[in-house]
Formats: sequence, structure tokens, C-alpha cells
Amino acid sequence: MRDKKIKIGIPKGSLQEYTLKIFKSAGFDIDIPERGYFLKIDDPEIDCFLLRPQEIPKYVERGKLDLGISGDDWILETKAKVIEVCDLKYAKKEIKKVKWVLAVPEDSKIKSVKYLQGKTISTEAVNLIKDYLRKNKVKAKVEFSWGATEVKPPRFTDAIVDITETGASLRAHNLKVIDTILVSSTKLIANKRAWQDKWKKEKIKDLALLLQGVVKGEGVVNLTMHVPGEGLKRILKVLPKLKSSIIKKIAGENWYDVTISCKEKETRELIPKLKRMGCEGIVEYPCMKLIP
Amino acid sequence: MNKIKFGFPWEYLREGAVELFKKVGYEVEVDEHSYRIEIDDPEIECITSRVEELALLVEKGVIDVGITEKVFILDSKAKVIELVNLDYGYKTLKRAKIVLAVPENSRIKSVRDLNGKKVVTWIPRIAKDYFKKHGVNTEIEFTNLPAEPKCPSLCDAIIEFVNTGASLRKFHLKILDILMETSPWLIANKEAWKNKWKREKIENLAILLKGSRLAQEYAGLMLHASNEMMEGVLKVLPSLKKPTVTQLRGENWFDVLTVANKKEIRNIIPKLKKIGCRDMVEFSLNKLVI
Repeated sequence: MRDKKIKIGIPKGSLQEYTLKIFKSAGFDIDIPERGYFLKIDDPEIDCFLLRPQEIPKYVERGKLDLGISGDDWILETKAKVIEVCDLKYAKKEIKKVKWVLAVPEDSKIKSVKYLQGKTISTEAVNLIKDYLRKNKVKAKVEFSWGATEVKPPRFTDAIVDITETGASLRAHNLKVIDTILVSSTKLIANKRAWQDKWKKEKIKDLALLLQGVVKGEGVVNLTMHVPGEGLKRILKVLPKLKSSIIKKIAGENWYDVTISCKEKETRELIPKLKRMGCEGIVEYPCMKLIP
Repeated sequence: MNKIKFGFPWEYLREGAVELFKKVGYEVEVDEHSYRIEIDDPEIECITSRVEELALLVEKGVIDVGITEKVFILDSKAKVIELVNLDYGYKTLKRAKIVLAVPENSRIKSVRDLNGKKVVTWIPRIAKDYFKKHGVNTEIEFTNLPAEPKCPSLCDAIIEFVNTGASLRKFHLKILDILMETSPWLIANKEAWKNKWKREKIENLAILLKGSRLAQEYAGLMLHASNEMMEGVLKVLPSLKKPTVTQLRGENWFDVLTVANKKEIRNIIPKLKKIGCRDMVEFSLNKLVI
């Protein structure tokens, strides 16, 4: 009998902490042995490997891995032919979006991508930039950079394309952003043959459901409150329309107990409004998973 | 666009303030090196300030609303509106005290013995008023560093913050008198308070920040109880928020949901267990607005 197992690639580096967190919230415990790349997970049907996110798409394409987590950036860069199972975009990442930007020295004459004709651009994502230049009909030399790309202009290169979250490192090196090439999100990707295997597909879909539930739940909270009977109609109009609201009358009193779930961000506006409208005992608690 | 300028205290109050904003649901980014704080609300501009100076900046209107320590509001005599006591300490939820301390082996036994002596402190105006009230003539020297190491080599006594008392013990100092308790407050500028839009934004923030602060001390509690147990259960549960009771379908059992102080829950759970309650679940809260 064939072993019923799926092999998963977990990204090492900046995505690692978040990936382990969502697995944990989905109910899986993953243990990282010291200097180990073969992770222990408490599901005998899963084998876990810690790998660089740049390499995961290729291994998934070749079937070395059935499933993997990586960024859009590396999926595009490696041009890997894989199935995108779902998006695992972190809801609470408004300020720190992972962006690939085109940057030049602050005093550079390069004002936009069009000025790059014949120039040199250093980057860790060569294919991504070549596609970008082709799209903009610009011919330039794209040079692979092993890292520390932001220190290279203007001495070693004219422009760079690098990953940035807050832009602090670019500012520190007197670079300015002239274009955003890609805003990268995190994806769950699967091998095409694994997707045709009935058992594996089932297992992957179950896992995707749980992981996505966690990711969606990140931004969602539950609100429970007491609502005065005379204000009920007005207050229900203010509440976001969701299927899961529960309204109960409190026995012997003209008060109602209302429970809803809503986006965490909405509570900043909603809670003060509800309090002003006479609601009492407003309790907000986090939602562990949200399965739509 | 309408905007309010929010003053974040740097130094020891910052961590607690950022945590409260995060519990409200804000995304907050702190840049340690450039003293910058960013928040995902276009209506809030973040300004960082030293804790001691923040109240004066609020008085001047450089900041519309901010968080600072009560004792510094008093010491700077800033004219501001004190909105909400956020009541957190440095790495603890206990209030700090402002104390008069002397070396353990000092001959100084009370405030009166400080006549003609020297006291080092962060809060010279409060210290001055304090000695004046006691009719004692004491030399007051200002420092913006911890005063403990200066006693007894540079002075006879200090007026300092105390959280756990560990620092006093380390320098072999003992408390002679407690001047006041202090904790962080949300304060607002008087002009900003008169502006309708700003006032509403500030009031909303006050509700939310207080809500997240309360949620640190409370937890949710869910349990199953039978009809016969209900009377006992309702007696044990605190009355802060009326519990939500739902009958389980087709059974003589109820689902009870309530919130309680975490310290009370320690005592409540064993009691409920004795009554016969089942499936008790305690869960943490994000916000609690009573």
C-alpha cells in the first residue's frame, strides 16, 4: 500500500514566524529541531521541510514537495507551474506591506522606468525585473545581486529593485522609490500531479480550509452586548449585516442580548457609536477561525 | 482631512500605550531609531514626546490628545483636560507610587528631620509643595536620571517612583512617606475639546482605550449548567455584566456566557465546579465597554 503522506515546504526567513503561527492556530504543532530542516508536525500524514521561499515553488513544480507556502514574488520569479490553492494574506498588514520597488539615488536623473534604457539594475529577482522592463519596452542590464542590494547605487549600479516593508533601509541609503513593481502576498501552492491524486487533493483542501480560516479569523472579532428594547431597531440598523448575528430577549426585562461578528477594524467606529446609543456591557473577543 | 495629533509617551510608558492601541485593533509601527510611530488611521497623526514634557505640549496645542503620567501633569502644572485613567504601570498593571526615601541606616525618621538637608528628585515642583506643606526648609535638586544612586553620596533623601520596590532595596533605601499614587492618563488640549469633530474623535479613542485596558483585567467565561443549578450559578457569577443564558436545544441544560475579573475567576471556577457546571471555558477579551 502506498504511504498516505503529503510533503509540505515551510518558508524559512521572514515568512517563517507567521507560517508557524497560522499552523499553530489551525491546530497543528510544529517543532523546529535545532539546525534541523526536517520539522516535526503532530500529523502523521504530513512531512514538513524548512526551505528558502525562493526554492519552494520549483520543488513544488517538480513534485519534490506536494504543497508549499511562498510569496507571489518567488512564484513569478521562478516561473514555476503550480496550482495556487489559496491566498494566505495576513489581514493585519496595512503599514508593512511587502513591496518590490524600483529605487534610485535621491539625486539621480532617473525619474521613471523610461530613463533606465541602457542602464544597470541590481536585484535578487532577475526574471521579475526582466518581465517588468519588457512590459515597459525598456532595454537595460539586469544584474543578479546576492543581497545588501541597497548599498550598491550609485557606485556599482544605476538602480535597484528590492523588497521593502517600511522603506527605512532605503531612506538610510539615500535612495528614493520611483515605482512599485509588485505587492507580494503569501500563497499556498500545490503540485499539479498531487492535485490529481484524490486523497492528496482532499488532504490539501482540508488543510487550506483550516489555514484560510485562521487568516480570515485574524481580522474578525465577536461582539456581545446588551441592547435596550427601545433602541433595538435603531441599533440593529447600525450593526454590520452578517449572517451570524444572534438576538435574544433577556427574560423579564426590556433588554436584548445581541451577538455579532465583525471586522476588527470596524469596531473602532462601531463600539463608540453603540455606547452612545445606549448599549451596555459591550464585550469584544477574538475569533479563532472563520469558516465562511 | 480632519486630523488629531496624538502624543505617544516615549520611554517607559510607550510599550503599554502601544499595546493598548493594538488591542483596540490598530496596527502600530514603532521605529526605535527615528523616534517615530505610525498608525493605520489617516485621522491620527502620531507625535512622540518625553513623558515629562507631554502635558505641556498638550497645553500648548502641539498635541491634541496624549498619554502621560499623572505626576508629570501635576509637576508641570499643565492646564489640560484629564479624560481617562489608563492605570497601567511599567511592565505591570499596578499603580506606581511617589515616595520619600532615605538610606536604611539614616537618622532621618520623618519629614521634619529634613530641615536644612538636600533632596534629589525628578519632580521638583511637587517636592517643593510637599515640603512647604510640612513647613520644612529643604534644598531641592532636580535630576532627570534615577535618583537612587545619588543617595546618600550626593543627598540626604530622594523623592522617586516606586513600582515593586526592588530598586530601593538594591540601593539600601527605605520609604519614609508616600506622597501620591500615579498612573498614565489620557489628556486633551482645551481648544481641541471645543472643536466638535476633534472632541468626538477624542471621546471615541477614550472609550476604546479604556475598553482595551479593562479587557486586560477581565476574561470571558462560558459554561453549561442544568436548570436546577441555575439559581446557584447566578448567585456565584459577578453582577458586572448580566450573563447571557441560552437553553440548549431539547435539553434541560443551559449555556451561560459572562465576563468577570480574572482574579475573581480563580475563585468562581471551583465554586461552579462544585455546583456541577460542565464544559467551562475561559477566554481572553479584546475590549470591554461597560
